[in-house]
Amino acid sequence: MLKNKDFCFKLNKEQKSLEFKINTKIYSLTAIYQTAYLFLDKVYVFLDGEPKKEIKVIMKGKEGQEGEDGKERLKKIASEFYNELLNQLLREKVSQTNAKIREYIVAQALYNAVPNEVDELLKEVEEEDWQADPLGIAKTWEESSSAKASASAEATADRSEAKEKKKKAKKGGKR
Amino acid sequence: MEVIKFNKKIYTLKAVKKAVEEFKNLANFTIKELDGYFEVKIDKIDQEVKDVIKDEFANYALGLMS
Repeated sequence: MLKNKDFCFKLNKEQKSLEFKINTKIYSLTAIYQTAYLFLDKVYVFLDGEPKKEIKVIMKGKEGQEGEDGKERLKKIASEFYNELLNQLLREKVSQTNAKIREYIVAQALYNAVPNEVDELLKEVEEEDWQADPLGIAKTWEESSSAKASASAEATADRSEAKEKKKKAKKGGKR
Repeated sequence: MEVIKFNKKIYTLKAVKKAVEEFKNLANFTIKELDGYFEVKIDKIDQEVKDVIKDEFANYALGLMS
């Protein structure tokens, strides 16, 4: 038969409150805080005791929760408190077990969210108009040499025309 | 006057001070460190909240602990 002295509620009629103790070797202080937090809107919760051994929980009904119904309600809430305590303890254990993988997932997500320099450079290169050829380096040798040849032919023709004009001008001056 | 004794090993001074900061419009608060407890004395309590201020204050301080 299991003996559990901790799982009993002590009703304080003067204070209209309920007291019970929680063994901190089983339930961590963090789990107790989390559980108490969840019950703050239903009842007044006050903690005392020695965190290394046991925590004393003092629960008090809020306004309009007095009389026999109030006491029964308080006992029911205290029982729920124990259940929630187990729930919080489990959450804490799972959180500890998954801590590394959770950190890894978050780190991976953050790393992917920040664009790196290589990605930015690649994007710039992709956006550039690569077909434009302002220096004419994409032309074949024949194209570029024929263009040069016609340009030089035009230039020599211009020069010979200019020379002839000068000669005519000189002859006219002598007459 | 109301007195609340917060266990130092369970409640932090930071949480108690923060709770005082939030409730200072409803009463006068003085905090003393005494034998492992933060003793909070509440006086000049607003009449509208005099029945609940002690418990609400303790609840608020506990809420800041989690």
